[in-house]
Amino acid sequence: MAEILKNRQLQIIVMLLSFLFVFLPYFLNVPQLNTASTKLITITSIVTAFTVALAVLAQFRRGINIINRRSRGWYFKAYMLMTLVLMLGFSLISRETGPYHWVMFAVVNPLSSVNYGILAFYMASTAARAFRARNTKALLLLLSGFIVLIYQAPLTGAYFTGFEPIALYLGSTFGLAAGRMFLISVTVGAIVFGVRVIMGNEPSVLGLSKEE
Amino acid sequence: MADMLFSVPGIINGRFIGFLLDIAMAALVYYYIKTRKMVHIRRVPGLDAIEEAVGRSAEMGKPVICSFGIGGFTYWTLAGLSILSHVARLSAKTGSRLIVPTGGGDQALIVRPVAEEIVKTAYTMEGAEDQYNPDDLPFYSGQQYAYIGGYVGVMQRIRPGSVIMTGSHASEAMNIAETSNAVGAITITSGSYIGNVAALACASDYILIGEEAPAAGAYLSEDPSQRASIRVQDLFKWLAIAIVVLGIAARSLGNDFLLRLLST
Repeated sequence: MAEILKNRQLQIIVMLLSFLFVFLPYFLNVPQLNTASTKLITITSIVTAFTVALAVLAQFRRGINIINRRSRGWYFKAYMLMTLVLMLGFSLISRETGPYHWVMFAVVNPLSSVNYGILAFYMASTAARAFRARNTKALLLLLSGFIVLIYQAPLTGAYFTGFEPIALYLGSTFGLAAGRMFLISVTVGAIVFGVRVIMGNEPSVLGLSKEE
Repeated sequence: MADMLFSVPGIINGRFIGFLLDIAMAALVYYYIKTRKMVHIRRVPGLDAIEEAVGRSAEMGKPVICSFGIGGFTYWTLAGLSILSHVARLSAKTGSRLIVPTGGGDQALIVRPVAEEIVKTAYTMEGAEDQYNPDDLPFYSGQQYAYIGGYVGVMQRIRPGSVIMTGSHASEAMNIAETSNAVGAITITSGSYIGNVAALACASDYILIGEEAPAAGAYLSEDPSQRASIRVQDLFKWLAIAIVVLGIAARSLGNDFLLRLLST
């Protein structure tokens, strides 16, 4: 059975049919296709939920294997598995109050916020490297970056109001145009990539080699 | 939305031209792949640099880090997996240690086994099964910032020679790119959403923008028919540019034909 399910042709056929069931109802006015598409999306959600459970199980097996082998940093794995079990248990009791709520809101969220806040320093160091007028393009980047920065920063934005129309102009013309071109190129790339996947020319994304 | 030029029975109003364009694009990709047409495609520096980056890591005896994002099976993740496959083969060929940090979201749990299979297959194909180590695909966390703590930590400890970050990374992309830069690794990234692209372009040595990341599988393939399919992307980008220019000109002259055609 496992060999049949791993069959490349079968996987591509399932993928093609799933694609058609979702793609066609977007364009064609056929109620039966719409119903089939909705059902397929529901089935996908259920399968995804099961897959998460399987993935957690796989993590468990891997973690226990590492602990048994006493590989480097095995105690971190033991800690991870212990917290996984505890959090799973706590979440079954209640997610709005109690230990689960406390861990999420008093530990995980503040630590995540700290990591997010560190981004400001990363952005500053990136800007320090990038905003050097080494050539014409870099000079343009520096000037536009400087204008937008002055406008966005609360203090300078309030005092140097003359930068506002230039910053808004840069955003609503060059910025918007570049953003739309990005979206167009991503869309075109997605369609071509999708066709290659459906034709079986991107076997690597299924974890298969070209020869299989 | 502007008035349509006409409606087609059986097709939802306003979606006919989009449907036709999709069909035309799919047909052209099929045509280019099947006829194995030799075409000129532009060089993508970010993709060309992957080989150089892995080679440099091998020369320096340092590991390569390659991640495929924190999302589920989205289009960006698939593109990232395609690049991972190539990086894994190069690493196996050059004998570089490859580390693939995984996690970052609940959905990433589902992608992880596929990534494991991809890396394993790549090592097998290069005859280097003995080099494959499942422990080099660590799962850090299902939480975005806990994952990034692990990711940044491993970069600081092992000082990789190159970091190739693809797939759907969100705000944590900057943590990765900047840390990579700080440890002196060649940094190749792909901007999966517009808010990230400008910052990543400044922080990385090479960046894959827009359709360049999903084109990687075909671009890096040695099969000319695969590479030819990339030509369709360029053709349709030129078509989009032509429509934009024509649209601006027509609207400026008070003609709304193109607008109505695209609304059909």
